Amino acid sequence: MDFKPSPERQILFDTLKKYFENEYSLSDRNIAAHSDLGYSKKAWEAMRELGILESLIDPELDGFGGTALDISTVFEALGRGLVVEPFLEVGILAADVLSRGNDAQKSLVKKILENECLPILAHSETDTEYSKSFVETKLSVEADGSYKISGTKRMIKHASEATHFLVTCRNTGDASSEEGISIACIPTDREGIKIDSFATIDGGRVSDLTFTNVSISSEELVGELGMSYSIVSHAIDTGILAICSEALGIMERIKELTLEYLKTRKQFGVPIGKFQAIQHRMAQLLVEIEQARSSVINATIYFDDETEREKTISAAKFSIGKIGTLVAEESIQLHGGMGMTWEYDLGHYAKRLVLIDHEFGDEDFHLQKYISL
Amino acid sequence: MDLNFTKEQENFQIEVRSFLNENLEPQVVEKVKNGIPITKEDSEKWHQKLNEKGWLAGTWPKQYGGQEWDVVEKFIFEEECGSAGAPRIVPFGVGMLAPVLMKFGSQEQRDYWLPRMLTGEDWWCQGYSEPGSGSDLASLKTSAVRDGDNYIVNGQKTWTTFAQHANMIFCLVRTSNEGKPQEGISFILIDMNSPGIEVRPIITLDGSHEVNEIFFSDVKVPVQNLVGEENKGWTYAKYLLTHERTGNANVAVSKRKIQKLKKLANDAKKNEQPLSNDPMFASRLAQIEIDLQNLEITNLRTLASVENGEAPGAESSIIKILGSEIEQDIDNLTRKSLGKRAFVNEPDALSKGYNGAEVFPKAAAYASGKYFNHRKKSIYAGSNEIQKNIISKLMLNL
Repeated sequence: MDFKPSPERQILFDTLKKYFENEYSLSDRNIAAHSDLGYSKKAWEAMRELGILESLIDPELDGFGGTALDISTVFEALGRGLVVEPFLEVGILAADVLSRGNDAQKSLVKKILENECLPILAHSETDTEYSKSFVETKLSVEADGSYKISGTKRMIKHASEATHFLVTCRNTGDASSEEGISIACIPTDREGIKIDSFATIDGGRVSDLTFTNVSISSEELVGELGMSYSIVSHAIDTGILAICSEALGIMERIKELTLEYLKTRKQFGVPIGKFQAIQHRMAQLLVEIEQARSSVINATIYFDDETEREKTISAAKFSIGKIGTLVAEESIQLHGGMGMTWEYDLGHYAKRLVLIDHEFGDEDFHLQKYISL
Repeated sequence: MDLNFTKEQENFQIEVRSFLNENLEPQVVEKVKNGIPITKEDSEKWHQKLNEKGWLAGTWPKQYGGQEWDVVEKFIFEEECGSAGAPRIVPFGVGMLAPVLMKFGSQEQRDYWLPRMLTGEDWWCQGYSEPGSGSDLASLKTSAVRDGDNYIVNGQKTWTTFAQHANMIFCLVRTSNEGKPQEGISFILIDMNSPGIEVRPIITLDGSHEVNEIFFSDVKVPVQNLVGEENKGWTYAKYLLTHERTGNANVAVSKRKIQKLKKLANDAKKNEQPLSNDPMFASRLAQIEIDLQNLEITNLRTLASVENGEAPGAESSIIKILGSEIEQDIDNLTRKSLGKRAFVNEPDALSKGYNGAEVFPKAAAYASGKYFNHRKKSIYAGSNEIQKNIISKLMLNL
């Protein structure tokens, strides 16, 4: 039995790790993450040139990766770097949806790689509904056979600079029904779209998008009318795998920072790591982080297994949610006041780690989902 | 056992309630109830209103402008303020330095400094922690060397709350290196406008500015600003810390926050039902509520023993641990209850001049910010680990 990544993936991980350590300064990241754009175009450009996007995308669409293991490896590295640029939104969510579309839509994936477009999935609606099939945005069929969509999408990250929205909508079925969901791929300058954006606690901008009678042609649907739930579902599961891996990278970095602090911070004449009360808490963090890693490995192994995927994904997201918040809170406490400052790296990692629980369903949601599967 | 208030205490409660009703500004209450920081101006206006009524320092002796409230009256006042969403009284002057001056200061110091706390002429901050001296406070190094009629102060303080607003600071300084570290510490009052003082902001992880670093280089402090005796400052500091910790139950504030949380959970939807109906959410909320009910009684038991003449000892450490952790639990669940809206961080959303998109629910403007900011509660005023050391030593004799 061997849990080591393949040599190629290890090289990819090490290359990215080194790149983030040397080239992706956290203070520059923080300025960009809390700017009006929410990320750095310069950093986005530089990281694209490294081939990060290609490593997330199938060779058929001009990438050189795209397997669950590739995604997990890359996102763990992105987590270590606390990268705020839209790899998840564009390289995973949008690319995964578009790869199931028609030729024109597939070609948008190639354009992503050529930096000619920035499509964003606009799916989530009510703030506290995490179900993948929850869609109330209405698609109506007009007399001439064209469509119109109306509704609101909430807390969509990196939407303000998007070139295309991939909007989920329904023409039939209850709000949570898997049947009746369609996806429309439309340019963001289409009439009837309003964008309200907000600053975030963990970096990047989020937006509420309001669609009012926005016209759609039938060629703009991704997949068949009313039959696109499986596309959304797969994209979100991939997104969950990605951010769980991101969380692992964050936790490993937090572990390093905290351990370093325990060894160097002296009180009562000794490094605070000499106190048994502190040692036990740090040891517990290590134990929990190992469990988190195993949950992500499990989800990666079963990712392409249609019968097991959702269950292992929910198990991983639950584990990451529960452990992530614990790691964030404990590491701040172990740092004392230092963990509370903007200037020091830890707090920024802790914020992202906690907020990962608010994306694609929190620990409670996934525990309930696990029970139901 | 009798947990009822007396008739007088009940009347007092009614009086406080109606005063708050008539005098609190709605926009300030809205900020407080939504967990959004208030401004220096908001605080000063509220202090002034309380002072006009004689309630800014209700526990003080009448000769200094107080009401000589006992622990129960103080408790009633704080409970009512907490549930009404009144701004918290900034404690550094009236709540922390004043008891030290009354017990250990000279008559001259009391006559001069106490009235100025009430009028707001002085805004005090607390110079205790240093970069190398946090939990191990007694190792502090900022030195004060006698030079004629002055002390010359050199060193650095950190985590100083509201130093950016303050014109005065009370400081622990080292006046001797003889004997145990605790035996060489003095307690002095320093004018923040003295030459040689520099204040640098520390921005916290939520992006807010409450705490600061203060650098002292050859700062002259008149010897009459020494409180009590030289090298006895540790005794005064411990006395002050006990006062700092007794007000930490925050039961009324936590109750108000739970009410707010219930409202948020009723309005939010999960599985197309109110989030408050979700069994996992309901279980989390109920556990916090039970913890808080228990704390309320634990706190009253401590108050009753103080009322009966027993000094608060390590009990204040129990209260500090529970009060901070329960409030953190509420902030945690509030953040969770907002779902994806918890990404938003727009703390200015309720202020004049905010021109961004409307934040709804309003509590989302700073809910995550508040959650992260309040991690400080288990760190400051003696970290909860230090409180456990105190309990181990004083109550368990370990």
